[in-house]
Amino acid sequence: MRALPASVGAVAATAALAAPFFLERGALNDLWSLALGVILASAWNLLGGFAGQVSLGYSAFLGIGAYTTVLLSLRGVDPFLTLPLGALLAALFSVVIGLPAFRLRGPYFTIATIGVGEAVRVSAASVSFTGGSGGLRMPAGSFDFQLNYYSMTVLAILAVALSAVVRRSAFGRALAAIRQDIDAAESLGVNSTRFKLAAHALSAAVVALAGSLYAINFQYIAPGSVFDFRLSLSIVLMPIVGGVGTVVGPVLGALVFSTLQIKLLAIPALRDAYLLLYGGLLILVMLYEPKGLVGLWRRLTARLRSPVPAPGPEVPDVG
Amino acid sequence: MSAEPLLSVRDLSKRFGGLLALDGVHFEVARGEIFGIIGPNGAGKTTLFSCLTGLLPPTRGEIWFRGARIDGRSSPAVVARGLVRTHQIVRPFREMTVEENVSVGAHFGAGRRRGTDALRRVREILERTGLGPRAKALAGTLTIGELKRLEIARALATEPTAICLDEVMGGLNPAEIVGAMALIRSIRDANVTVLMIEHHVHAVVGVSDRILVLNFGQRIAEGVPRDVVRDPEVVAAYLGDDSVPVRADA
Repeated sequence: MRALPASVGAVAATAALAAPFFLERGALNDLWSLALGVILASAWNLLGGFAGQVSLGYSAFLGIGAYTTVLLSLRGVDPFLTLPLGALLAALFSVVIGLPAFRLRGPYFTIATIGVGEAVRVSAASVSFTGGSGGLRMPAGSFDFQLNYYSMTVLAILAVALSAVVRRSAFGRALAAIRQDIDAAESLGVNSTRFKLAAHALSAAVVALAGSLYAINFQYIAPGSVFDFRLSLSIVLMPIVGGVGTVVGPVLGALVFSTLQIKLLAIPALRDAYLLLYGGLLILVMLYEPKGLVGLWRRLTARLRSPVPAPGPEVPDVG
Repeated sequence: MSAEPLLSVRDLSKRFGGLLALDGVHFEVARGEIFGIIGPNGAGKTTLFSCLTGLLPPTRGEIWFRGARIDGRSSPAVVARGLVRTHQIVRPFREMTVEENVSVGAHFGAGRRRGTDALRRVREILERTGLGPRAKALAGTLTIGELKRLEIARALATEPTAICLDEVMGGLNPAEIVGAMALIRSIRDANVTVLMIEHHVHAVVGVSDRILVLNFGQRIAEGVPRDVVRDPEVVAAYLGDDSVPVRADA
């Protein structure tokens, strides 16, 4: 069962790396956006999917990576050398907010992360070193799209690989146990706080790396773009639509998301309607297939294999 | 008891608002014992296990295990020290297979095993608990008897010095109860001290070395099964007038 997605993934990764040889700039831009979506969704899924901790504050980590890169680049540091520092700062920040936030469970944790994300955005807009609400521009002469494309694509491949490795590891088993029954996990020795902090830090670091590459490619960032709550919402929607808690799901979700984004941006009347559309999509998924596209695929294949109707989706307890 | 006890509970109390669930409970358990805990519903038995294993902090009192004070420590810290529990209402990881469920205990318990070492340990425990043929089944598909055994298997995978079994015979048929009693004896024979809460009085009398009786959070009796079941206070509070057979060797 694992061989098929792995083979498809290898082919897709090879095609993405070879794309600059046969695709034009516009199509490569779309693939760059898809790669960004894959990274954000896969990274969020490490905590939100595998451990079941739904955070709506991930734009904070993207912003930390982006601002670290721009601020250091403006002081003469090579933009790509700033990536590890941005990742480290985001990981540290994730631990600082995770220590109090992980004392909360379920929706209370989610609400706390919204507060953190908004607090970071407002703070970034009100201090001078971030350029305030006006934002900051990268130094001139630091743009090379080919390099940017490969960087984002390679990071996307690594993010999916990391997700697959985590899922099969003892660490991933601990996260799955936490998601399914946190008290039972603790009573078998799983230190849930430590594992949640580790997953949070890992995913924050990966999102920050994507934030740095985002800044390098866009050349301009502002709190309203990189710390935007709508961005946090989009990061959550992708894995949920694709299949939360799976390796393939976030990739599928990113594919749906970026395709819709491209199509909607082409229609001026619908340019600002994407959240409405995604909201509707989210409601459909939660009502009819909580396991997303991956769950739908599993049900269809189970039905094809067996003449007996497959059971309906198991609705998670959200109480 | 002449040697230092494995577990020592001293003046343990637990209050939930106006309810005193445990009231100055004290007892000691020696290494290698099977120690039964009985009492009517609401006597504080499960609260006692929750305090012992770090799920609930006691309001007052001390818990000493293997020479160290463990009251107020977190569940993972208590498991790392070698004391583990099962749950009265089974709590399997339903989306995992039986083997994966047990591996959680092997990875994160006192043994901290990884890779093939963990897998070997898991398979050995599955065989001991009779779950070998169900290793690849999803936990959500098991029968109640199998789920009870899975609770025990997961706890054993943590490589405990002592295990707290919370009503592992609840919901089992007579044949399964006999099997559970044999399993409990085999756990003790493998040098794991057993504390067990049980409502099947015949079973707990048959398998325990000593029994503690709780009522309204207080210790009302403690001793060998033959004496405890004849204690007038225990008969009045819990057993009723029906005679309870005492095993021949008790």
